[in-house]
This record gives sequence, structure tokens and C-alpha cells, in this order.
Amino acid sequence: MTTASIRCENLTLRFPVYGADAKSLKKALARAVSVGGALGRHAGVTDVTALNGVNLELKAGDRLGLIGHNGSGKTTLLRALSGAYEPDEGTIDVHGRIAALLDLSLGIDPTATGYENIRLRGRIAGLSSREIEGKMDEIAEFTGLGPFLAMPVKTYSAGMQGRLAFASATAVEADVLLMDEWIAVGDSDFQKMAHKRLLKLVERAGILVLATHELPLLKLYCNKVMRLEGGVASEVVDIRKVEQLLAA
Amino acid sequence: MDTATHMLRTGRRGALFQLQMAARDLRNSFARIGLAWSLATHDVASRYRGSVLGPFWITLSMGLMVVGIGFLYASLFNLPLSQFLPYVALGIVFFGVMTGTINEGCETFVQASGMLSQTALPMFTFVWRTVFRNLINLAHHLVIVVGVLVFYGMWKVSNPLLALIGIVLMLLNASWISLLAGIASARYRDIPQIVISVMQFAIFMTPVFWLPGRFGEHQIYLDLNPFYHLLQAVRAPLMGEPVLPNTYVVLVSMAVIGWLATFLIFARTRRRIVHYL
Repeated sequence: MTTASIRCENLTLRFPVYGADAKSLKKALARAVSVGGALGRHAGVTDVTALNGVNLELKAGDRLGLIGHNGSGKTTLLRALSGAYEPDEGTIDVHGRIAALLDLSLGIDPTATGYENIRLRGRIAGLSSREIEGKMDEIAEFTGLGPFLAMPVKTYSAGMQGRLAFASATAVEADVLLMDEWIAVGDSDFQKMAHKRLLKLVERAGILVLATHELPLLKLYCNKVMRLEGGVASEVVDIRKVEQLLAA
Repeated sequence: MDTATHMLRTGRRGALFQLQMAARDLRNSFARIGLAWSLATHDVASRYRGSVLGPFWITLSMGLMVVGIGFLYASLFNLPLSQFLPYVALGIVFFGVMTGTINEGCETFVQASGMLSQTALPMFTFVWRTVFRNLINLAHHLVIVVGVLVFYGMWKVSNPLLALIGIVLMLLNASWISLLAGIASARYRDIPQIVISVMQFAIFMTPVFWLPGRFGEHQIYLDLNPFYHLLQAVRAPLMGEPVLPNTYVVLVSMAVIGWLATFLIFARTRRRIVHYL
């Protein structure tokens, strides 16, 4: 197994937000042919700087909590770390198998059964069909969904979907786990199991990056914390200084 | 640079770098081609979940259309059924695969937005998913093709090997159009409607239901219709007819130029596609 590490240098991410106007071909054409279009070709497209010069260095065993207001860039940073967003400036360098739990619906097909969804997610995460079958019992047990696994996922409650997603995503021996705060979905039983599994990940010297608004959760799982404000990141500080960071 | 355990993303720009990244995307998609296949089979299985006939439902409706149009047009235009029915059957089946690949191409990236925005999966994986899904459909429709060829004894004269080359050429071309439609549809929401209209127009302007016969001075329109060549390369060999050499010239050059141009566009837009969605 490789040693997990995350390094971001001067990571800047801008993205165009395409408004309804910008998605219309007619309006794009009208702009292209209009004489002297002084309003600019980018009418309707707004550039948003979601991350601005973020520097971040994490090594094996680090559990980073991301805090910040809504829209401060937490999820964008997680998506960038997952490899989905490419930086406009700077670099992202991640060693280790990445598992991202940002969106419950990843590869979840509501009409398919729980088992089929586990297979689908496993395939997306890079497992072969045989590897998935090998892990199936363990995953099935971890979800605690029992006979419900043979039923379509659309009949599940949000908490049950959360169990399914968490179980199948962490079944892959991930070194780097990226999580948006939805971990709070399950009931207390599940929370306990999830806790155990996260601890196991930490034991394996993995890296956890968790975005959350909840201080207790942060203190439970993380040993470091970083605050994002309008796409600008603070220093990474020890979890014990979280109050100071929040007050700043 | 990008392996299962190492991901590097930089803010480097420049045409050459963009091309390298696009090529890497393509390579990675081949390295994980099994994923595209799994997604495609899952799509087909989930679309027909709980139905008795499964994908054979489209085969059945296609079969009905073949029989209906075959009998109707054969009697309207006084054509021998034994020639015309296989002609229509092959036309509908193969044109359908082409239309399916291109029309569904519009959804390639839009449908995958959930996965594209939180994983480092190659974009091309989803292009192959669309292509494979249509290949699976084609496999079901082969029942019609084989049935008709056997029933009218055409299998004795048909040249399946040449037809296979035709199918490969057809898929090569349909897949770049599909990718192009996918990128454009992600960016502009009008595109799927336009693509569907064009494909609908094409099916009537191409000799699918009718014989090219005496086109006379208008023959040029037929020669200029790329869909005619795409269809001919598959249908003619199966019916034991020769394929004109210029059909291959058209198809090969279309595939080469089309893929080059589409790949350049893909290289330029690749990192933006996820933001379009």
C-alpha cells in the first residue's frame, strides 16, 4: 500500500456559472452575430473564484476538518481533491486510493436493488466484479439492511440510502476518504458502526477530509482543522485551536 | 501520472498539454473498458427491469415496423416482397443503431453528472457506455436480421465479413458524432432537440424505406448523404450487393476527419464539461 498524502499548492479554481441565458444556443448565436457586442461574449456566464490560492499539505494519519460558511468552497475543495475539478492555477497531488462520499446519489440507481447498487458503486470505485462478490457479504452485513438489499433503492429512506452509500464506498480499501457532512444521516446504531470504520481507516494510516458545520462531529473525527472563507483558506491548525479559528 | 493510487492535477495550460490530457483520458478509458461495459449492461438491465421481454420489446416494435412498412411499400410500389422486406429490415435495424448512438450521445455527460463531479473517472468511459448500450441493443435486433436473411434465403449470397467491416465503420463514425453531440448538449440545452430533428429528417432522406432506384440527375444528393454511405456499407454486403469503393473512401475519411476534429474539441472543452453540467 502506498503512503497516503495530499498536497495542494496555490490551488486556484475558477468556474464559469452558466446561467439559463448562457445555455441557450439561440442567445449564443445572437451574441455572435450582433454588431459590436460591447456587452461581451460572456453575457450570462459569470466567473466565480471558488478557491483562491489554497495551500494544503496532509500526510498519512491526518484527519482534516473543513469549516466555513455555505458557499465558502468546502465542497469545491473536496471535489477538486477527488479529481473531478481541475485547477486553474496550482497543483493538486494526491497519493492513495481516493473514495469520495460527497453525494449520496453517486452511481445509485433508484430502480435497482441494493445489491445491484453495491456492485455498481464497487465497479465505479475500481473493483473487479470478482472482488465485489468477495466483499459482498461483508458490505451487506455492514449496511445492516438485511432483506431490504434485495429491494429497489427507491423504497429506502434517506438514512437507509446513507447506510448503503457509506458501506459500499468505504468497502473499497480507500486511503483517502473525502466526506461531505451527510454522515449524520444514519441512526445512532449506524453512527457507531461508521465511527468504528472511520477509526479503522485512521489506523490504516489513511487520510480523512471532512467538511462539516457541526463542532462535535469535527472534534470526534478530526485532529486538524482548516477554515475556508470565500475560497481563501486559513492555516491548517490543531483541532484544539478550533475555537480560536472560529473566532478569527 | 494518473494511476489508481496517484492523482496529479495541475493548472497548466496550452494546446499541447490539453491534447496530452485528452489522450490520457482516452487511454484511461481503455484501461478501464470493463467499467463502461458494466455501466452499459446495467443501463439495459435497469431500463427493462420487470418487463417480460426486456430489450426484445424494441426488437418486437422494430419487427412490427419492418413487416408493416415492408408489406405496405412493396404493394404500393409493386416491388417483390422477397427483395424489399429484407431491404427494409436491414435498413431499419442498422439505421436505428446509428440514430440511437447519436441521439443518446446527447445524454452521455448530462446523465453522468453525478459521477463526473466527484470522481476522477475518464470522460471517455461514458462515451463508450453509450456506444456499448447501443451495441447490446443491436445484438438483440440481430434476431430480425438473421430471421429475414434466412427466411428469404439471402444468407446464401450475403457477405458477413464485409458487413462486419461496415458495422465497424458505422460505429466509428457514430461514436464521434455521439461524443460531439454530448459535449454540445452539455453546454447548450437546445442541442438534443436539434440532433433529434436532424436524425428524424435523415431517416426519411436516406434510402431506408425506399429504393434509391432511378435517381437520375439527383443522384448527387444521395452521394452527398453520409448516412446513405454508412448504411450501404452494412446493408449492401448482407444483401449480396457490391459496395461502391467511394463509399469506403467517404466513410474512412469521415471517420478520420471527424475524430480528429472532435478530439480537438474534446481536448479544449474537457476540463470544462463538468462545469457545464
